[in-house]
Amino acid sequence: MQTVTIKPKKEIKISVEAENISPDKFAGKSEKDIQSLEAYLGNHKTTLGELFSIKVEGRGAAADTKIVMEGNFSRVKRIGEGMSAGLIMIKGNVDMHLGTKMSGGKITLSGNADSWAGREMKGGELIIEGSAGYYLGAGYRGETCGMRGGKITVMGSALDFLGEHMCGGEIIVKGNAGILAGISNNGGKIVIEGNTSRPGSEMAKGTIIINGAVAEMMPVFKLEGTEAVDGVTYKKYTGDVIVGGKGVLYVK
Amino acid sequence: MELLIKNGAVFDPKNGIAGDKTDISIKDGKIVDKVSTKASVIDAGGRLVMPGGVDAHSHIAGAKVNVGRIMRPEDTRSGIKPRTKLTRPCTGYTVPNVYAMGYRYAQMGYTTVFEAAQAIMKARHTHEELEEIPIIDKGALTLFGSNWPTMDFVREKDMDKLAAYVAWGLLASRGFGVKVVNPGGGEMWGYGKNVSGLDDVVPNFDVTPRDIIISLMKVNEMLGLPHSLHLHCNNLGKPGNYRTTLATLELAKQVKPSKDRQVMHVTHIAFNAMGGTNWMDFESKADEIANFLNNSENITTDMGQVIFGSATSMTADGPWQYTLSKLVHGKWSNGDVELEDASGVVPVTYYRQAISHAAMWASGLELALLTKDPYKVLLTTDHPNGGPFVNYSEVIALLMSSKKRQEEIKTLPPVFNERTKLPGINRELDFNEIAIMTRAGSSKVLGLLETKGHLGAGADGDVAIYDIKPDQIDPSVEHVKIKSAFSSAAYTIKGGEVVVKDGQITATPMGRTFWVDASVPGEHTEVMMKDIRNKFKNYYSIGLANYMVQDAYLTHPKVVKAGVVPVEVS
Repeated sequence: MQTVTIKPKKEIKISVEAENISPDKFAGKSEKDIQSLEAYLGNHKTTLGELFSIKVEGRGAAADTKIVMEGNFSRVKRIGEGMSAGLIMIKGNVDMHLGTKMSGGKITLSGNADSWAGREMKGGELIIEGSAGYYLGAGYRGETCGMRGGKITVMGSALDFLGEHMCGGEIIVKGNAGILAGISNNGGKIVIEGNTSRPGSEMAKGTIIINGAVAEMMPVFKLEGTEAVDGVTYKKYTGDVIVGGKGVLYVK
Repeated sequence: MELLIKNGAVFDPKNGIAGDKTDISIKDGKIVDKVSTKASVIDAGGRLVMPGGVDAHSHIAGAKVNVGRIMRPEDTRSGIKPRTKLTRPCTGYTVPNVYAMGYRYAQMGYTTVFEAAQAIMKARHTHEELEEIPIIDKGALTLFGSNWPTMDFVREKDMDKLAAYVAWGLLASRGFGVKVVNPGGGEMWGYGKNVSGLDDVVPNFDVTPRDIIISLMKVNEMLGLPHSLHLHCNNLGKPGNYRTTLATLELAKQVKPSKDRQVMHVTHIAFNAMGGTNWMDFESKADEIANFLNNSENITTDMGQVIFGSATSMTADGPWQYTLSKLVHGKWSNGDVELEDASGVVPVTYYRQAISHAAMWASGLELALLTKDPYKVLLTTDHPNGGPFVNYSEVIALLMSSKKRQEEIKTLPPVFNERTKLPGINRELDFNEIAIMTRAGSSKVLGLLETKGHLGAGADGDVAIYDIKPDQIDPSVEHVKIKSAFSSAAYTIKGGEVVVKDGQITATPMGRTFWVDASVPGEHTEVMMKDIRNKFKNYYSIGLANYMVQDAYLTHPKVVKAGVVPVEVS
């Protein structure tokens, strides 16, 4: 088992590109090696050791690596990018692109995540105890496939376009969601416990379940009657009919 | 500045050199017979030496390339290379940024590339981009096929006026040649329609695609332009279109060339050699096209080879792009250039598992392998329609190795064997034939063989050295080595300057932009301009004074003179 503890040395005001903070990158490395991994502070190339105090206990493979991050990381981007195994526990807030393209392992975040968390995620689990920004589990600009697998859970709320171009996997939002959740999705499952508006336009495949109120429905869904899911009765809609979609939307 | 390339295994088809150890001397940017002892020396050490590559059909600059970039931010995520002290940043795969266009061509040993389509009205944009593409020489072909004045003058059967218009259009766009895309179809698309063959009448103009093609061929030869008519056939992309293509090729018999070259260049023929009646029974009919080419003169083509994977389809063939976007359920951008053209951009992915894609992949190769004379089929991917130009090395390896082709065929659906003749073709091209398809042939087709595509005295000092020894390699077996050598030149020399060494850019001089200044009798221009002024007064949304590309947009121009010559019409 390898445990890496990371704390900011001082307040970070300029955004940091920290895709090297990942169990895959840290596994089996010494404190010195991890400190010398590259990071960008704005457009200035620096190292993780310059920005953070890093402590390492033990050695292990990626699957046995635990990264504990404490402090304010609200300007630190791309944490856990592409990770395939291991655990990242963050006590604080993070900037954009948390766990982007991750294929395995687990990230837990006690605070809030900015936009694009879990973008193009392929597997693993992402738990956000606070709230998420825009484009949670979405595809990047121009891509036709966003999240493909894995699971994202948000205890708070999420902003607009969550699960955009989603092709697989599962997103659960305990709070409210912004507009157009699951826009252009092509698979996967989205569950919103709170309120939202205009879910699922351009949806080709996939399932969206909304337990709260839907302020406004897009006029592109066909009401199929009612159906019970896990003992709860919903109105079942299919669509988006404009794109010949076979997506399913359950609304209370 | 003098340079001597020693001990190269030189392939220079125009001068009949096929692998002989020949020294190449370059002085002041030109190939010369001899240089002094002060010349710097490159020892090729028996490696393959060819003239710098010449691409006669590629979409490297202009409005639709830029629309492709805007539509495909996801494409920009690949091919990212930060700037260095020498080079600017690069991005993209199917629609690279302007700098990457120049660097990547040079890294493959190419030194001259022609943009295949610019509308006159959008020409300023084309030249703004061309001026930013480093290293390579370039030029742009100008679209004339669906322009209102063209169709007016064709209907009036006034070839003098049409010639004057073409000459003026080339000047207005600083263009190099006459490009025709789906003649008549661009105008029909304004009404949501298309022409379905050579004899459909274009409403309001009362002309047919046949009239347009023949008339523009005639005036192209009247003007004695370096390049011939450059044609994108009607019905492109439709199963069964090979009949339209064959009928179009027949038209070339009606006009005699004014120069030692073809009268018609039919481009990206892989998209025009389709049999069958729909996408299910779709088959390649490239063999019929190749058979026609083997029995005719004055026609050249290029492959438009399909590369499996991501591509971006972009063409002035507006109606086809709409059809394509519906086929692939993809993004679609539509363009309308008032009075001149339609256009469209659609990202596509070619899949091995899709039999129609596999058959299209086969038809480009079939055409190149079944046509006996390599001067008649140039190597292109119709970048980025069939695939990005960086894959030329893949195409070269496929043409040189039947073994590689068989390996590829194994990855395709079994029904492939029924839809193409490719599995039964054993021909393997040699280095000389590859040099023709990528150098001498393309230069001849463009009418630039005097200075491009060869290594005789007087030619431009453009040379490529590849890291293979032709006498020690069996391309059929070692196709992996062939591909890797052609994808990254050991040396690329442009105008006597080493611009690439071991695949890395070493210098970034600016190339020139070729355009054709064709003279016509002043009275013809006067009569023609009356009509043009009327068009601007009544229809165009911009003024005539703002229409012409000014000299300021071409900081490195290379003017090729042409002018009215008598043409024999049989």
